[in-house]
Amino acid sequence: MGEVILTMKGIDKSFPGVHALDHVDLEIRKGEVLALMGENGAGKSTLMKVLTGIYKKDSGTITYEGKEIEFANPRDAQAAGVVIVHQELNMMNHLTVAQNIFIGREIMNGKLINDDKMNKEAAKLFDRLNIKIDPTEKMGNLTVGRQQMCEIAKAISHDAKVIIFDEPSAALTESEIEELFKIIRDLRDKGMGIVYISHRMDEIKVITDRVTVMRDGSYVGTLITKESTKDDIINMMVGRVIYEDPKTESNVPKNAPVVLKVENLNAGKMVKNVSFELHKGEILGFSGLMGAGRTETARALFGADPKESGKIYINGQEVDIKNPMDAVKHGIGYLSEDRKRYGIVVGKSVAENSTMATMDEFTNGPFINKKKENDIAQKYVESLKTKTPSVDQLVVNLSGGNQQKVVIAKWLVRNCDILIFDEPTRGIDVGAKSEIYHLMNELVAAGKSIIMISSEMTEILRMSDRIMVMCEGRVTGEIGIEEATQERIMHAATLRK
Amino acid sequence: MENFKNSPLVKKLGFNRIILCGVLVLMYLLFSIIEPSFVSYSRIISALNYAYFLGFLALGVTFVIATGEIDFSIGPVMFCAALIGGKLFVDGVPMGACLIITILVGLVFGLFSGFLVAYMGLPSFISSMAVMMLSKGIGSVFTKTQAMSWPQSSAEGGWYKSLIKMNVGGTDIPTGLIILLLVAVVCGIILNNTKAGRYILCLGSNQEAVRLSGVDVKKWKMLAFVICGTLAGFAAIAYVGSYTIVSPGLGDTFNNDAIASCVMGGTSMSGGIASIGGSIIGVMIISLLQEGILAMGFQKDYQYVITGIIVLVAVFADVRSRRKKN
Amino acid sequence: MADKKKGNAFTNNPLVKAVGTQKIVVLLVIIVLFAFFSIMSSGFRKYPTIVSIFDYSYYISFMAIGVTFCLITGGVDLSIGTGMICYALFGGYLITRQGMPVIVGILGTLLLGLLMGCINGVLVAVLELPPFIATLGTMMVARGFGSIITGGMSVTWPAASSEQGWFRMLFKINKPGLLLPVGFIWVVIFVILMSLFLNKTRPGRYIIAIGSNKEATRLSGVNVVKYQALAYIISGVFAGIAGIAYAAVFSSSIAPGTGAGLELDAIAGAIIGGTSMTGGCGSIFGTLLGVFVMSMLKSGLPYIGLQANWQQIITGLILILAVFIDVIKNRKLA
Repeated sequence: MGEVILTMKGIDKSFPGVHALDHVDLEIRKGEVLALMGENGAGKSTLMKVLTGIYKKDSGTITYEGKEIEFANPRDAQAAGVVIVHQELNMMNHLTVAQNIFIGREIMNGKLINDDKMNKEAAKLFDRLNIKIDPTEKMGNLTVGRQQMCEIAKAISHDAKVIIFDEPSAALTESEIEELFKIIRDLRDKGMGIVYISHRMDEIKVITDRVTVMRDGSYVGTLITKESTKDDIINMMVGRVIYEDPKTESNVPKNAPVVLKVENLNAGKMVKNVSFELHKGEILGFSGLMGAGRTETARALFGADPKESGKIYINGQEVDIKNPMDAVKHGIGYLSEDRKRYGIVVGKSVAENSTMATMDEFTNGPFINKKKENDIAQKYVESLKTKTPSVDQLVVNLSGGNQQKVVIAKWLVRNCDILIFDEPTRGIDVGAKSEIYHLMNELVAAGKSIIMISSEMTEILRMSDRIMVMCEGRVTGEIGIEEATQERIMHAATLRK
Repeated sequence: MENFKNSPLVKKLGFNRIILCGVLVLMYLLFSIIEPSFVSYSRIISALNYAYFLGFLALGVTFVIATGEIDFSIGPVMFCAALIGGKLFVDGVPMGACLIITILVGLVFGLFSGFLVAYMGLPSFISSMAVMMLSKGIGSVFTKTQAMSWPQSSAEGGWYKSLIKMNVGGTDIPTGLIILLLVAVVCGIILNNTKAGRYILCLGSNQEAVRLSGVDVKKWKMLAFVICGTLAGFAAIAYVGSYTIVSPGLGDTFNNDAIASCVMGGTSMSGGIASIGGSIIGVMIISLLQEGILAMGFQKDYQYVITGIIVLVAVFADVRSRRKKN
Repeated sequence: MADKKKGNAFTNNPLVKAVGTQKIVVLLVIIVLFAFFSIMSSGFRKYPTIVSIFDYSYYISFMAIGVTFCLITGGVDLSIGTGMICYALFGGYLITRQGMPVIVGILGTLLLGLLMGCINGVLVAVLELPPFIATLGTMMVARGFGSIITGGMSVTWPAASSEQGWFRMLFKINKPGLLLPVGFIWVVIFVILMSLFLNKTRPGRYIIAIGSNKEATRLSGVNVVKYQALAYIISGVFAGIAGIAYAAVFSSSIAPGTGAGLELDAIAGAIIGGTSMTGGCGSIFGTLLGVFVMSMLKSGLPYIGLQANWQQIITGLILILAVFIDVIKNRKLA
């Protein structure tokens, strides 16, 4: 075991309404790969953002090379040798590889940039990493995997002593991952401290030396990778007590008809051969880790993004959904995970948003019947218990939970039979949350069918009648609520096919 | 002040619009003090000449700006329509048909611009500049680069002038103002009380959310351009009703006046917020300004500078208020 | 692990790769246009006509070089056409109305361009106004200002024959038996200099980086406000140079109120040359080629009986086509 290079102790961080980090400890050692694991929202990314100066910690200490420090911003951290390789790459696609690596600190020859020298230096970096990338190639022409290698090269060009990989393998192919691991081992052997954030159990076993597990913003514990099994780690990740009662059995009658059937849906990189059925009156939970392709599946199904292949049947009839207009026509409603961007029109009123998808029912000829519109909006404000002074209120002035209710109202006014709830309670306070759960249960009781995408395990277990689990664009498990456990879901969610 | 702002009447009329009306009255008083001839009916009638056609242009472009796009072609399209209509009249087409064709020319340009932006995905500021070139060229080719003179009110076919100004017993009645206000009311109803207006405003505010509600956003965006083009056709008739003669190759300065009227009237350049009443008040201010500048013996070029600065200030205020909200 | 590169034998040819497919296509277009006009009209084949192609190219080139920088940052400068005339009016005013030497007029033209560029830079980079509307505002101001200083009258720069007319020789030597488009030398010099500036200096590099990914550039510690403003300042100064070229080559009398629409020749030239409306990529050399398409049309169309009005129509269509190709190209990349 190498000596400790960086210690985080008792790190605490709150955002309004959320205790994001609760006295978290972390220890990074030279010549070692440390895995940082936890479910979505466990606080891994927040912790790393505190470390690299993007967020300011509320309390706790960070000790780096024996001195207590606090980086003001990522550039400071970089200068000191703590570098993060982000999940979303920060690249200038129109510049070459070498130009990207040296942006902001170009090698000069008098007043002119010495691109030759920069190319040579970049080539040396790639030599050190033992990879072949042409430094003069345009960044935009590289695959995501190769772009990531460039980020790593940029990191080591800063004389990094600690490198943090934030889910580096998410977009990589098998062989690219092999290459990445080789590089990581090399860097480790040269004495760097490496933090590897990932959801993939098998990778963790292969590449890391120790595993630190976080859950719900707290430090759970640290294991030696060699001495622990996959189950040990999963148990630490999910070992929370579930306060809300999980559903124990499906409320859907055995003979409930299939209202929606999706066959071999393919769309982009994130949706591969997805097939599933949705029954009348069912809440079908979609579980999985970040980037599993659940939202992409929903968007492709709804026609929001183009799909490459696949068949969709509604009530047994094959339908052609090319765009959201078609989907809505066939009675599908979609509540996006990103309300502000895709759900509500913020500058408009509650009433205007409520009737957005159903304008035709509120017009006399070309004119809008505002009374009818206000009446229906008022009706749903009352039945959904939306807190708003009036239906004329602009939705921008409502809280997140109430905005969500306006979006729900929009689809209820439309009388959609199939509703896709994508992270229905994200960013919503506890009270409003249980109201929305209650509402969903009422909806299925009334014969609607719901697809619920959720990253919250408790939500999945509490609401679903059946659970589809996805990993990397594929369905990796289908579990009835009767036999569903956190462990089973997590197994399937980390199952790479 | 807060009390005033929150009183129901002020809220209904809009605080900014009341301020703008105040500005309009103050400007008139100021001009009247400097130049006593302003206190006369004929001067007001003369100032209105500029307001008729500019009013139609501003009403039209308000719809386009409401969707978050822009149209720099309206002035030249107006001229192109007036040139084509005028040429046809000279060639013997009856006045009624000429007027209809003039409006149709505007409509066709609107269709074309809307197609380029909504269906082909071109950025509207550059595609509308291209359409501006096209309309200048087409107008000029159609008339073989000749200026076109529409008939005087006394001449045959001159009845169209009474759409703008009617002489009853020696006094000019501004019929154009009545028509402009009627059209403004119709525009206001379209924007605020119809499905089309609702979607136009909403897609200016958040196009993606509207699309995901199953709305055909391309169609409604295109419609905004079509309304704008058609009103440019109306503007063409108003222009010749006031000034009789049109020359090819001109018209682009009127874009700026129309856009300035809109942004001054409270229509946001980033879309989603639009006020027909505000645009009309904006038009009145610009028209009065232009009359005042001429009356005080300045060149009309001062007006360009002032409108330019108005646009910059209004857009800056809009950008800043948006940033505050976020 | 193949990279996302595809292409055929032509696009993968090293020479084609070095120059860029689009530029080669544009070069071919220029040759085809030239051949077309030459076949259609015997008048076009004459040496003075060829010189006139160059005459048109000067002012468009300078404006286009400048606006290329704005386009690369992902913005645009609509004030250059009207601005060019405004600056030339100001320069001419200094010379003919104030009796200053020509060199002062030239400096005045450039300085006013610089000033306008600075104003645009502040509006776009510091106050963060949308570039098209900010430069539209300054375009109106420039139009009014040019007219106000000259009292609404045309301004005449000194004629070639006059003692003060030496500056015309900078662009065109027109003596009996000697007609030389020397202005092209300046164009080439500036193309080389600005190409070097764009590709080989830090400011140029950062201007490209801002257009490609402004946030990533900012996070790399680059002062994005400064370099974004710089693009508009360059554009202003080059509009000034364009004003001088315009005054030197074209009718000695410059009328206020003209110039609107000329910016589109420059913007179309830049986009034809491969500069993208969405920013991040652009080439000064490509811009020059694009400009020659425009100036070839301007000087050639009259020879096949199409006057200025047809040129406007064709400019409009070419602009739509160029922007459409750019939109398609970007859609493919995304």
